[in-house]
Amino acid sequence: MIDERTEEQAATYALGALSAEEAKVFEAQLQRDPELRKLVSELRDVSAAVAGQMPGLSPSAAVKARVLREMEPGREPPVRARRSPPWMPWGLAAAFALAAVLFGWQGSSLRQEIVAQSTRIRDLNLAAEMLRTEDADLRRAVLQLQASNRLANMRIAVLNSLLASAPKAIAVSVWDNDRQNGVFVVRGLKPAPPGKDYQLWVIDPKYPTPVDAGVFQVDAQGRVRVEFKAKMPIQAANQFAVTQEVKGGSPVPTISAMVLAGS
Amino acid sequence: MNARVNIDRGSWYARPTPGRTAKIYMVADRRDADLLARLRAGERSAFVEFYDRHATLLYSVAARVLGDRREAEDVLQEVMLQIWRKPDGYDAELGALGSWAVTLTRNKAIDRVRAANRGVRLLRKITQSAADPEGTPSANELVYGAERAARVRAAVEELPHEQREAIELAFFGGLSQTEIATHLQQPLGTVKARIRRGMLTLRERLGGVT
Repeated sequence: MIDERTEEQAATYALGALSAEEAKVFEAQLQRDPELRKLVSELRDVSAAVAGQMPGLSPSAAVKARVLREMEPGREPPVRARRSPPWMPWGLAAAFALAAVLFGWQGSSLRQEIVAQSTRIRDLNLAAEMLRTEDADLRRAVLQLQASNRLANMRIAVLNSLLASAPKAIAVSVWDNDRQNGVFVVRGLKPAPPGKDYQLWVIDPKYPTPVDAGVFQVDAQGRVRVEFKAKMPIQAANQFAVTQEVKGGSPVPTISAMVLAGS
Repeated sequence: MNARVNIDRGSWYARPTPGRTAKIYMVADRRDADLLARLRAGERSAFVEFYDRHATLLYSVAARVLGDRREAEDVLQEVMLQIWRKPDGYDAELGALGSWAVTLTRNKAIDRVRAANRGVRLLRKITQSAADPEGTPSANELVYGAERAARVRAAVEELPHEQREAIELAFFGGLSQTEIATHLQQPLGTVKARIRRGMLTLRERLGGVT
């Protein structure tokens, strides 16, 4: 007979929510008690069933290819996944845009340059994908830009899609903390339905809720490039998120309508 | 008498119970045992079979916890390679092979969340509740089919909200019971009881007990 307290521990253990110390003690008990092992087995399966409740997403075929490649005989176990950092292609592209930004936000010729560079983001992204195996070169390129102090006080964030219906939607946000403004580029996002806007949010630990950074629409191809400001002074733009809101925006994000998020 | 029905992928089983709706649950079955034996023997085709069967669910779990598809791919890769290199980490007495893989995935994703700074955790908490506003099939539906997914969903949705909330905060949010109590502004004992009741109810509804 398993008592209530042990059942509580078993349920929490199956969910992975026991502390390391508690788990160690519980596992010792588990070794001695076949009935408890049966309970944990069933509760773990319950956890897996609950886990399957969230929207289903399929990984890209590239993941399987990477895993199979790593399985080749003679391959050393990697300390880390070998994929290039997720921000790399977009970060590199954004870095080009930033270099222009920092040379003069107000200059019209440079503004045109920013526009021109932003249109290259997609091409650069594709090129970076093809150059995945040469990610060391890409990393060096960004490091050179960083070393030149062009990226000081800049926050570059890649926002990935949370939509199973638009898995390839992606955005890059470039935030200049000194100037308290930024540039936001979106690709592959479906146009908002009538009466709706997309709304950008800045996640700053200074505030209990995300900070409104304005609304936007995408064109028929799912693209947009906007310059934005946050409605509150930003201390640290740690993350960005996009929600779908009523026309004109909402004072607080509608959590169930979040479409893009990332850091 | 137990009956296996509609098992084409995964190791989910429907078990008819007299007078009640057939129950769904996941068990360590013969297929798991066979697959594990082949994995332990280093059989590559066994791994490919395992990957094809479980990658969608594991990736969905990682993406939900992390709120970042790219990071979720990294976690999926780590988990899959761990299973290939260390299949002996699986104990059939502690759940189905798929459940073990889900636990591994969830734990690796949570480790990343915990390693992140406060701001990241804030976003995670937000994205934990994020749902596709356009409505998308669940991972269960993609992997195991609409019928079984609907039954699991019904079992979960019939839970009292507070029990479901505590379970989801623990699993997807990676919060300890004390953190959940603080987050919900409830006594620790209440949170423990909610998790226990919720999990035991689901076990009953999903057919964990014969």
